[in-house]
Amino acid sequence: MTRLGDWLYERLPISAEQLRELTNEPVPNHLKRWWFALGGTPAYLFAIQIVTGILLAVYYQPSPATAYESVRYITQEAAFGWYVRSVHKWGATMMIAAVVLHQMRVFFTGAYRKPREVNWFVGMTLLLTTLVTGFTGYSLVYEQLSFWGATVAANISDGVPVVGGFAKEMLLGGETYNPRTLSRFFVLHAAVLPATIVGLIALHIAIVRVQGVTELHFRDEERGKPDHFKFFPEHLYTELIIGLTLMVLLSALATILPAALGPKADPLTTPEIIKPEWYFYVAFRWLKLFSATTAILSMGFVVFVMFTWPFVDAWIRRNTRYQDASVWIGIAGALSIIALTVWEAAVAH
Amino acid sequence: MSLETKRIIIAILGSTFLISLLFVQSREVTRQREEAGLIPPHIAVPATSKACVDCHRQNNAGIIDHWKGSKHARKGVGCADCHQADSRDADAFNHYGVVIAAVVTPRDCGRCHPQIAAEFGRSHHAAAGNILASLDNFLAETVEGSRVPFNPHSETPGRAIAVVNGMASAQIGCQQCHGSRVGLVSSTGGILTVADLQPDADGRPTNLDAVGKIVRDQNGRPKLAPSTWPNTGMGRINLDGSLGSCSACHSRHDFSARRARQPENCGKCHLGPDHPQKEIYEESKHGVAYRDLREEMNLDADSWVLGKDYSQAPTCATCHMSGNVRNGGRITHDPGERISWTNRPPVSLAMDTDINHKVVTEKDPAKRRELVVDTWEAKRARMKEACSTCHTADYVNNFYQQYDDFVVLYNEKFGKPGTAIMEALLAQGLITKTQFDEEIEWQWYYVWHHQGRRARHGASMMAPDYAHWHGMFEVAEEFYQRFIPSALEIVAHAEKEGRTEAAAAARKVIDDILARPEHAWDKLAPTPPAAGG
Amino acid sequence: MEHNETAEASGAEMRRRGFLARLSSVAMVTGLVAGYGAFAAIIARYLYPARPQAKGWLYVTDVAGLKPGDSVVFRTPQGATAAIARQGAGVEASDFIALSSTCPHLGCQVHWEQQNDRFFCPCHNGTFDPSGKATGGPPFEAGQSLPRYPLKVEGGLLYIEVPLEQLAGGGACTLEKPGGPPGPGHDPCLYARGRARV
Repeated sequence: MTRLGDWLYERLPISAEQLRELTNEPVPNHLKRWWFALGGTPAYLFAIQIVTGILLAVYYQPSPATAYESVRYITQEAAFGWYVRSVHKWGATMMIAAVVLHQMRVFFTGAYRKPREVNWFVGMTLLLTTLVTGFTGYSLVYEQLSFWGATVAANISDGVPVVGGFAKEMLLGGETYNPRTLSRFFVLHAAVLPATIVGLIALHIAIVRVQGVTELHFRDEERGKPDHFKFFPEHLYTELIIGLTLMVLLSALATILPAALGPKADPLTTPEIIKPEWYFYVAFRWLKLFSATTAILSMGFVVFVMFTWPFVDAWIRRNTRYQDASVWIGIAGALSIIALTVWEAAVAH
Repeated sequence: MSLETKRIIIAILGSTFLISLLFVQSREVTRQREEAGLIPPHIAVPATSKACVDCHRQNNAGIIDHWKGSKHARKGVGCADCHQADSRDADAFNHYGVVIAAVVTPRDCGRCHPQIAAEFGRSHHAAAGNILASLDNFLAETVEGSRVPFNPHSETPGRAIAVVNGMASAQIGCQQCHGSRVGLVSSTGGILTVADLQPDADGRPTNLDAVGKIVRDQNGRPKLAPSTWPNTGMGRINLDGSLGSCSACHSRHDFSARRARQPENCGKCHLGPDHPQKEIYEESKHGVAYRDLREEMNLDADSWVLGKDYSQAPTCATCHMSGNVRNGGRITHDPGERISWTNRPPVSLAMDTDINHKVVTEKDPAKRRELVVDTWEAKRARMKEACSTCHTADYVNNFYQQYDDFVVLYNEKFGKPGTAIMEALLAQGLITKTQFDEEIEWQWYYVWHHQGRRARHGASMMAPDYAHWHGMFEVAEEFYQRFIPSALEIVAHAEKEGRTEAAAAARKVIDDILARPEHAWDKLAPTPPAAGG
Repeated sequence: MEHNETAEASGAEMRRRGFLARLSSVAMVTGLVAGYGAFAAIIARYLYPARPQAKGWLYVTDVAGLKPGDSVVFRTPQGATAAIARQGAGVEASDFIALSSTCPHLGCQVHWEQQNDRFFCPCHNGTFDPSGKATGGPPFEAGQSLPRYPLKVEGGLLYIEVPLEQLAGGGACTLEKPGGPPGPGHDPCLYARGRARV
């Protein structure tokens, strides 16, 4: 073995010691708390999405003439095709839910504050990228809701001042949905966006490693006990447990509530009820409450504020006496988003 | 949580994951079993017919849809296979590079279905076109219409009608069931039929003069005479000399066996006042059972053998054509094979057939024995195979006794006497040779062609109302209330005019009949009902 | 004394702990392999072509219509050609032969050369005798023959077993909507052939 080790070392001058040092980082004790595992959860689900996505791409055909039929083939004919598709669909929902929960954990523990603003930007970008990935993925099925959802979304982006028209045309590959639109969605969903997410995740984790994790002490912890534990094997076991639980959950959901196939896209017939995926309900409802321009601009503003929250929070803490303002604003914001989402879910129009 | 605990948890979760995937596997197996039945079979359009399908899918999508649902499509038999024609055929033409004929005859079907075509060809169905020389034809062509075109009575606002086609009732009425004589428009103004073309054994015309007269459009397509086509009459007389049309029962283009098994299919033609087989079947217990249970009768099955694939109720096809467990599942396309009485003529005849499958009318027993190849008993035995799949021997035999008794009763009381009377009146010149110009001819026609046939069919297929009230009662009423009085009146009229001999001869025939005990009921003392009721 | 007992006690405990640790490790690995292994098996099954390519028996001709020595060319739904010949006077499937026109060397299409009484492949000059056996060129060197399609005779009719799936595209007329009235010269499919594709 050492002969092999020497052979490798002559070519890749990294010692085993260095590797162990690099990977087996001491994990602060508070990460034993399960809700600190919310960062690894979306990462694991992303890996599942990559695997199932590649599998789906083996049979999927990104052309309006054959897309729906290929999805039907996967759902109804390919061996376990319904399972792969359902895991992919539920995986998307769970990944977005996990990302949002992770963001809320980070927000409410103030982990966006100096010096971690940059990582907050990376995380926000990850959130938006994930949402767009979900949207483009759903558009590929070429059901009625896929087609009309994409049309509506393109028209909304058209409403953005200055760059809106350009953005819409780039998205659709034309002024309206045309035979080349689906290819654009497919390239985005299957190549560009996943690659972006991989890069951003790498950056996100690298920044965490470089900066180190603050060692928090909870009130119910004993003093004097070792305040960190090893990544291998302890934290890895935690991650494995989470991973397996997610697999069981996904399999159960895939079996009990499998992905169905709605009616094929008909450009000439608009269905009575068009709704996007659940994670866009808040925006959908918001758009119905205000005129297009107002809604778009206000949503843009909200996203901007979310991005720059580290600085807003710093300003508030510096210039007012409300040190915990973020918490209360965060609670209010979360409740509003939940309320709008539930409202949209509950009504037909 | 200690490391061991975590490892154990991972082990448990791993097993749970495995179990969940086993559940996924079982779902997949169930799904595959369900899907096996639901996925429609692959239809591959044969290369020779691809152009046909591509074009006609735009123009006549229904034809392509029907064909795609047919067994032909599943087996790779396409448009070209049936419609292909030899350029020497009378109605062949070049259609976008392929030589085809529009009319597909039993000769064409017989290329792949030779036994069925042969059976059908010798059956009475194929001979249905013979009506063209019958009494019924006279009615339709002359009494209801005119054999030659005639001038309109007066103007019709909005339409320019130059001449009246007097054959219209025959063409769209009788001939649509019985079959027309397919004709091509001739350049001399007439119609060219098989009689003009004189086809050889391969169906190709030998009279090239006639062929030269065929009117063709700029693409070489011959014009089928509108009076003769469209027509899927059972006994259609085709240009290639073959008789009949398979699409009469097996509708094109899906050639559905399922449809041919259902009584409604036969009911297109076998209904009406003169042969209400459809109505009779619906009244009978067989029809009642069918109406109730048809969903369970496996009509779509490939094999449809009574006693094996279904047994809920018989349909027309069941008894007259389909196979049953007692005859080894053998189907016949010659329904006459199982019929022991022919109830078509004024007097029913026993169905002894000769080598040409024609009814033997020879009276001399010795000569008869020589001619008869298939006896009525053999035919009845074949029919009884179907009956016996559901009914016991006594049941079946006793029914046939009841049936025989009824037919014989009709024959002896009304059929033969009526025939004798009409023959006598004609022989003595007391009625004209022209049919249907005297009232008695209509009355006699009703007695045997309508009421009499109805009665016999009703008896044959267990419909008591059609046997009695809609049958024999009306026979008797017509016979006694109108036919006999008409005959007596004609004789009396002849006597008054001084034609004594003729009148006497005819009167003797009538009186002899009326003197018979079965007719003398109005003169005899009332007979006490037979002991026992 | 106390120390010794404690040492002994903790020694046993250590051994028990070691055993437990090994057991739990084995259990963990087994659980992981079982779970993810099953998942990998499902993925493998998903990727494997779902079911054998749909094949079916298609009608060729009635037996009486093909005399011994005659042959007929049949196009499969996928566009390949099969040369079907009747070699014997009997009516069994063995009296007929259906040779695929796909050369076993590298897949080019062979054609029949009447004057040379052989099949000829233009790609690398392979030649085959009427029974499909290679007589020259690379296929001969490899000892190959033209592949055969299964045949059956049922009810006096000859059937050939071929893959049924047709690849989309191609065909005489692919217009979405018919253009112009039907009839000679106005055939919508004829129109399509003349028009440039959008």
